[in-house]
Amino acid sequence: METTRASASVKQIRILLADDHTVMRRGLRLLLESRPEFAVVAEAADGRQAVEQAATTRPDVAVLDIAMPNLSGIEAAQRINAALPDTAIVMLSMHSDEGYLLRALKAGAKGYLLKDSAEGDLIDAIKSVRQGKTFFSPEVTRILMEDYIREIRTRGAEDTYDLLTPREREILQLLAELKSNKEIAQLLNLSLYTVETHRRNLQEKLNLHSFAELILYAVRKGVIS
Amino acid sequence: MALAGIDALRVLGHFRRSDEQIRSRYLAENHVLNDIRSDVYVSGTYVRDYLLEPEPKRADVYRANLEQVRKHMEAALDSYGRQVAPAGSEHYTALRTELSDYWSILAPVFGWDAAERRRSGYAFLRDEVFPRRQNMLALAGRIADLNEQQLGAGNQQVVSLLVSFQTRLLLTLMAALALGFGLALFTMRKILSLEGHARLQYVKVAEARTQLKELSARLVQAHEEERRSLSRELHDEVGQALSAVLVELRNLSTGLGIRSEEQSRGQVETIKGLVESTVRLVRNMALLLRPSMLDDLGLIPALKWQARESSKRTSMDVTVAAELDSDELPDDYKTCIYRVVQEALHNCARHSHATSVRINVEQAQDRLLLSIRDDGQGFDAQHTKGLGLLGIQERVARLGGTCQVDSQLGSGATLSVELPIHVGHRKLENRSGDNPSERVRETDTHPVG
Repeated sequence: METTRASASVKQIRILLADDHTVMRRGLRLLLESRPEFAVVAEAADGRQAVEQAATTRPDVAVLDIAMPNLSGIEAAQRINAALPDTAIVMLSMHSDEGYLLRALKAGAKGYLLKDSAEGDLIDAIKSVRQGKTFFSPEVTRILMEDYIREIRTRGAEDTYDLLTPREREILQLLAELKSNKEIAQLLNLSLYTVETHRRNLQEKLNLHSFAELILYAVRKGVIS
Repeated sequence: MALAGIDALRVLGHFRRSDEQIRSRYLAENHVLNDIRSDVYVSGTYVRDYLLEPEPKRADVYRANLEQVRKHMEAALDSYGRQVAPAGSEHYTALRTELSDYWSILAPVFGWDAAERRRSGYAFLRDEVFPRRQNMLALAGRIADLNEQQLGAGNQQVVSLLVSFQTRLLLTLMAALALGFGLALFTMRKILSLEGHARLQYVKVAEARTQLKELSARLVQAHEEERRSLSRELHDEVGQALSAVLVELRNLSTGLGIRSEEQSRGQVETIKGLVESTVRLVRNMALLLRPSMLDDLGLIPALKWQARESSKRTSMDVTVAAELDSDELPDDYKTCIYRVVQEALHNCARHSHATSVRINVEQAQDRLLLSIRDDGQGFDAQHTKGLGLLGIQERVARLGGTCQVDSQLGSGATLSVELPIHVGHRKLENRSGDNPSERVRETDTHPVG
């Protein structure tokens, strides 16, 4: 019965679950397995196990708790991302702070969920990252945007977003949606060289040094959610 | 003083020598003069005896005696002439001519025979010898007077010398006294100022000691207060919430199958709400005790988080600028800096009325520099020392660092902390796998600028 269903739905998403709390892990597993399109293929209780399990099972999506013993979720994400670039990573965290989000993005995570609301958002998050999109807990997005607005207001700083041309804003959004330069060129009917130039210019204008910062900026700006 | 004494001795010696000289000269002159005088007398007597002596043999004896007296007198006169004072030289030459006249007058007499002597001897004596002798004696007397005068002058000289010496001694004494007085005054003042200084120092030390005692008492109290509030929060908030969850769960389980699904869902929602708020509470408490991001993300992200939280809670705009060789500092350093910043921000928020606070972390070779600058109302850094500042100082001192507060009323405050870093302390292995030599440079101007 189980095998037939698995073979029947070829598009089933294979998932690795890593969290040091058994209760949490079991809860999430129950949640995921209530959906036929998901299959939890491996579980891990710490970062090291997660890396090992990922290497053997090659999951589509790895759901990693950020705070795990032995090897933190961030480091595990980094290693999994390096070894298996096709495995999309969703990070579970207790923190809505941008420091964690930036770290997670730098480590290669495409999704970032607050544990409080994980059960509500996990399914959407896994689907999104599986499609190559980013996903962040609405709570995180809200806080980051609020922080951003407050900073602009208290510091009277210039909103650098205003410096961007409409074309650059367009490209920023597409980049934040994890589109490649080539895809963007095709989508906007531009040459690859032009897209690269736009990208360079907008990064310079916004003072962004990495792709992770670019995504964070887009989230803070509300360009993506 | 010693110089004055030596001078006095020298003057005294000079005085004694000059006195002696005058006296001995006077005595010598007097002695010679007396010799001459007595010789004049004796010569007169011999002349008289010679002239009046009828016996030729005896007269020859007198004449020989007279010759002797003359030689003696001339020797005395010569010796007197050698030491005669310029003032007496006139009288001396007069005496000398008188004497040679005397002898030249006498010269023919010695050729006289006894008859001639008897005939005109007395008249010669009366007319020639006696007046001349008288003359000479008067001269000698005048010389003696002169000598006496000179003695007097010498005495006068000595007296004036004595007087000048007295004045000089007096002056020296006065000078020595004035100098001594001045020295005493200076020493006294110095001693008094030293004493005052020592007293002030003592008062300061005593003050500092009582302050320290007070502060440590307050520290203990604050510690206890913190525990009490934690305990209360755990018991009243977490404990109560969990009890409530338990009650609701019991209700739910006893009501299973009895109550409607809608009722049960309502109960579940209540439980969810309770648990959610408890989770938030516990997380906040845990963060307050020790922010996990200090361990997870490192010092700078933790400081930035703190800055953001502080900006949210207060009206201050808190920014962090950091330049570190590696974010992987030893744990105690991370904790120290984090707590120092926490305490400083707390102080700023409570007392300074600042609108902006700038936190700067910088690594310079073997030192870590932290500064927290606010634009608030400032305070008297010399005399105000709160519990927070004491805590900061203790933390910093434990790592061998120094800590300084620069502030003046009305012009903000800057807390500067300097921590020594030993190369061995620096972890070269970078957990996140970044290039360890890459200089982590971040400013709080978020990507937005």
